Amino acid sequence: MTAPLSVRPRALAQVGALSRRAVVGLLREFPLLLPGILFPLVFVAINAGSFTKSLPLLRACCYPELDSFVTFTLASSVVQGVLFGSVQGATGLATDIEQGFFERMLASPVNRTAILVSRLAGAAFLGALQALLFAVVLTIFGARVAAGAAGYAVLIVSGALIALGFGALLAAMAIKTGSAEAVQSTFPLAFVLLFASSAFFPRETMTGWFRTLADWNPLSHITEGLRDLVIDGWSWSAALNALDLPLAVTAVGIVLALVALRRRLAAS
Amino acid sequence: MQERPPVLAEGLVRHFGDVRAVDGVDLQVRTGEIFGFLGPNGAGKSTTVRMLTTLLRPSAGRAWVAGFDVVAEADAVRRSIGVALQDAAIDPLMTGSELLDLQGVLYGLPREHARRRAGELLERVGLTAAASRRVGTYSGGMRRRLDLALSLIHAPTVLFLDEPTTGLDPMSRLSLWEEVRRLNAEGTTVLLTTQYLEEADQLAGRIAIIDRGRIVREGDPKDLKAAVGSPTLFVDVPTGQAPLAREVLARFGDARPSPEGTLGVGLAGGAGAMSDVVRALDEAGVQLDHMELKAPSLDDVFAEATGHRLEGAAEAAPVEAAGPPKRRGRRGR
Repeated sequence: MTAPLSVRPRALAQVGALSRRAVVGLLREFPLLLPGILFPLVFVAINAGSFTKSLPLLRACCYPELDSFVTFTLASSVVQGVLFGSVQGATGLATDIEQGFFERMLASPVNRTAILVSRLAGAAFLGALQALLFAVVLTIFGARVAAGAAGYAVLIVSGALIALGFGALLAAMAIKTGSAEAVQSTFPLAFVLLFASSAFFPRETMTGWFRTLADWNPLSHITEGLRDLVIDGWSWSAALNALDLPLAVTAVGIVLALVALRRRLAAS
Repeated sequence: MQERPPVLAEGLVRHFGDVRAVDGVDLQVRTGEIFGFLGPNGAGKSTTVRMLTTLLRPSAGRAWVAGFDVVAEADAVRRSIGVALQDAAIDPLMTGSELLDLQGVLYGLPREHARRRAGELLERVGLTAAASRRVGTYSGGMRRRLDLALSLIHAPTVLFLDEPTTGLDPMSRLSLWEEVRRLNAEGTTVLLTTQYLEEADQLAGRIAIIDRGRIVREGDPKDLKAAVGSPTLFVDVPTGQAPLAREVLARFGDARPSPEGTLGVGLAGGAGAMSDVVRALDEAGVQLDHMELKAPSLDDVFAEATGHRLEGAAEAAPVEAAGPPKRRGRRGR
């Protein structure tokens, strides 16, 4: 009888291989990603058609430099698409648990944290890809990013961070429930969160309880940071607004996901 | 060097709330043997295997696999064993080749080595042509063969197969049996759980029968069957005549558990007593619908040990059937 070939595996190599699997899996289920790509684009098309006359209002209230409604919607399209994409990424983790692939990994000498980190890395990669896609498509249709290349870079990094942050929160849910259905049930919630933010209209145009809701909604803060970069041009404060909250959500999400993972492993 | 046997369990217990799924299992698997863990659904087979493969913590008791403690040295256990679990899915979106590559990384194999090993294993399980196809397009048999290949990527010394042929068609089952025998002949110690009597009988050099979380019999299947002694006569009679038939049959041996609607008796006089039974039933006015004499089988061993038959047990060989000698796993050294 020969000795087993396995040596102490390197966690980084495991993260790399599992991240590749996460991305490949998501891309091979492309039809499931379509709503996250098409919905924002359809919204842009509808809004650009319906609200073009509101352009003077938007200029008067908040963005004097605004050149088109498509430019106005670029930031919200990125946030919207990436948010939907992160639901899909976490669903993959829940599906792994449901179908037993998670257990297969646990039976191997895989670093337990690598299972989670790789899923999140996959989600971040997809988020960046989606942000790039929206930026390119809307630029083709007339959007202009006033902050230039740096603005595009922040859009992409922010997309990755939003996917990472919300992906981590949803991953915590996936690990806790082990149910793909439970994770997917957050999809409508993502819609509600978006509509109750300044993603589609500036807060300055809102009144009453809806305005209060939008004031407290983290998506308002993220969208406005990105929108300032897109419409007004580069400023460190806008870049920080686009990145600080996603970073905070990422930190909280990762802690919650790690706690959920530890609890799940301890319960077995 | 391993001082302990490849698998050693002492008083393993696992609770799920109030349910004691595994209730003090002692187990020893010897180097180089195929050990069959036989029992019905819910008997505690898979829970025991999940504890031995580090997927579940024992509530009490200890176990060592490949010489390592399954709790304190879980990582070393994982690097030494191969596991093909009944419920462990294979990602349908990946190709067979991609999954083997991934498995190689998870076990820390150098890339080139892993790739070469993956090629060998695909060849071995007959999946070379399907290697670049997504697993979602594989048949059940192909998935099980891939599952086996995945569990072998790091050339484990101990292989755990949890119900490896459940749901497979007869041809796929035979093909998997052949592969398990081949692996065993090459020196891999195999612990397989099964609810199929024939599978345990065909493959295992030694078996343990588990029922309601406890091991009720353990040993060489041949010896266990011999210990049951007499063959079992199964008799079908019209429902109203069952009490009378039972009375007659009691003269020829002890009643044995039997499928519903059938009476079973251990024929103390062996096959030679059959004509006497027929005559006695006839004289008592019992109408015989069907009768069948079966050599002691693992189902009889199970029935004798537990008082009930193994679900779906239909593989007991008729006395008259003289098959080729059965191949067994390599005996313990």
